[in-house]
Amino acid sequence: MSPEDILHSKDEALARLRASFGEDLDTVFAGRRYGFISDALREVLVKPKKEKVTWTERIDRVVLNRFLGIPIFLALMWIIFQFVTPAMGGASMFTIAGYFMDWIDEGFGWLGGQVGVGGWGGALLTDGIIGGVGSVIIFIPSIFILFFFISLLEDSGYMARVAFVMDRALRRVGLHGRSAVPMLLGFGCNIPAIMATRTIESKRDRMTTILVNPFMSCGARLPIYLMLVPTFFAAYQGTVIFGLYVIGVLVAVGAAWLLRSTLFRGPPAPFVMELPPYRLPRFTEALVHMWERGKWFLVRAGTLIFAVVILIWALDYTGALESIGRAIDVLFSPCGFGQWQPAVGLITAVLAKEAVVGTFGAIFAGAEEVGGLGFIINFELGWDSLTAFSFMLFTLLMVPCVASLGVIQRETNSWRWMLFALGFTLGVAWIGSTLVFQIGSLFI
Amino acid sequence: MSEVTIALAGNPNTGKTTMFNNLTGARQHVGNWPGVTVEKKWGGLKHQGYDINVVDLPGVYSLTAYSPDEVIARRFVVEERPDMVVDIVDAANLERNLYLAVQFLELGAKLIIALNMTDVAASRNHRIDAEKLSQRLGVPVVRTVANRNQGTKELLDCIVNLGQSVNDADFRIDYGKEIEREIKNLQEIIQKSLLSLNYSPRWLAIKLLEEDDEVTRIVQGKG
Repeated sequence: MSPEDILHSKDEALARLRASFGEDLDTVFAGRRYGFISDALREVLVKPKKEKVTWTERIDRVVLNRFLGIPIFLALMWIIFQFVTPAMGGASMFTIAGYFMDWIDEGFGWLGGQVGVGGWGGALLTDGIIGGVGSVIIFIPSIFILFFFISLLEDSGYMARVAFVMDRALRRVGLHGRSAVPMLLGFGCNIPAIMATRTIESKRDRMTTILVNPFMSCGARLPIYLMLVPTFFAAYQGTVIFGLYVIGVLVAVGAAWLLRSTLFRGPPAPFVMELPPYRLPRFTEALVHMWERGKWFLVRAGTLIFAVVILIWALDYTGALESIGRAIDVLFSPCGFGQWQPAVGLITAVLAKEAVVGTFGAIFAGAEEVGGLGFIINFELGWDSLTAFSFMLFTLLMVPCVASLGVIQRETNSWRWMLFALGFTLGVAWIGSTLVFQIGSLFI
Repeated sequence: MSEVTIALAGNPNTGKTTMFNNLTGARQHVGNWPGVTVEKKWGGLKHQGYDINVVDLPGVYSLTAYSPDEVIARRFVVEERPDMVVDIVDAANLERNLYLAVQFLELGAKLIIALNMTDVAASRNHRIDAEKLSQRLGVPVVRTVANRNQGTKELLDCIVNLGQSVNDADFRIDYGKEIEREIKNLQEIIQKSLLSLNYSPRWLAIKLLEEDDEVTRIVQGKG
């Protein structure tokens, strides 16, 4: 008898068993084991008729409810984005981000006034560095505030519930809760999120989770939204940003379904997760977690963004930037922003998403004195709300950055999948923005 | 001087790590399981003149082939043949935790159940008859409260006792007539074709019927 005989007999046996027990034999075996256990425990374990209901169970009854689970999560996220955006027109309970922005703004304004050199050196300092890097740094408090709230949700034990609730939704598209954790991490940064997929054993599940992760809106996208929403969506800033995050999740889920039913077919692996009891998050602990996540954006503003902005400024100073932008801007005409400035911005976006803001900041130096970057974009480029939304959508859906592409290459161990991720996300971004702009134009 | 090697197993969040620290104190080593990035911890102690080596298995709920942690746990038990498995069981979630214990027994391991967190179970008014549990499963059961270091000595006594006995247990779960017929049939074919295997033929048969990827590979590899 050879191994083939054994496997052959196994297949025959499985066919016979499936005929009597149905497809899901795994649960039959598990059921028999649990049957044995409850049998053995009959005289061993006496539990009170009514179990004491813990606070955790009470909260979970609401939070994990089949119908309320996702709406509750969405409501929490909506509230958080109200804190992240600077409120317009007077005091509001949500103005924390606004205070920080004003301070940084004044600081950079004062710095600009101190620059005493003229000529190209002065221009580099005031327009390039203060205009470019400053315009990015001004949004970093918002990133920190978002990360602070996400840390609170994690430390309290609530994020584990979100993974559980998402598990039900993800199951429909062939993924499970183990993919939900990397997706939620994507709200911070796609790089650790993609590395977190290592816990997924099934290759198919893991590849799918990696390839859809770039659609989750990471912290570096936030400055782009914050640059545009105050001008174009003054009354609904938080809601519009919240909407972009939701769109990111929906596109990720849709893409997962697409990949799972084409390239990575097969049943999802079973998944067990344990929900930790709730606890009151500690303020200082949340601050530490916020800092660990957010500090990279500060480091990047001083290194990568700094370098990109100087390069952009130099190209702009010599006039080369415009020619580069004009060479490709026609590609974006169907999306509504076929202009050289956003075209250049999207090129730098591949280096780091927040570099888009730095690029606009360097091109439109001195914007802060005349009402901010959003205002200048509205005035000089003639964008309306639809164009701004189309542009934000494009930056949301296009591949996050070179660093995350590098991680995709490393984690899939394949250049082909990395190029696939690049092409796939760019394609989805172009189609998405074009659809929004073209359909939107019919109504406006 | 005799030596006993035990594998410390259990679900996640059952106090397994605390128990490991109670047992081994400062004599701990940390490394990786071969070929994977899962942390491996081991340590040792002396008790009643015995050298007891403790290997901490990854915390798992089950012994399927779906996660690397589970494969590590069952591979270690079968291939490295520790003298026994000590399964740390959360007494307050007894039913779910015994699922792992039952699978170690099916695998043919010599088992001790450490009924941990008995204080939590008591606070929820769960009454557990440890002696009867021991009878029903045919394995020693020791009550412990790891985070107060209670029951550690009793557990060590039990380890030494069991270390001296022979494993004559023939644990099996009755899967019902229809499935049992297929198990028996496959088991016989396996016995005829594979001369030497670490795994018991009945276990291999059950796992083949559960379509376990790793066991399918093992069987193929013996061609």
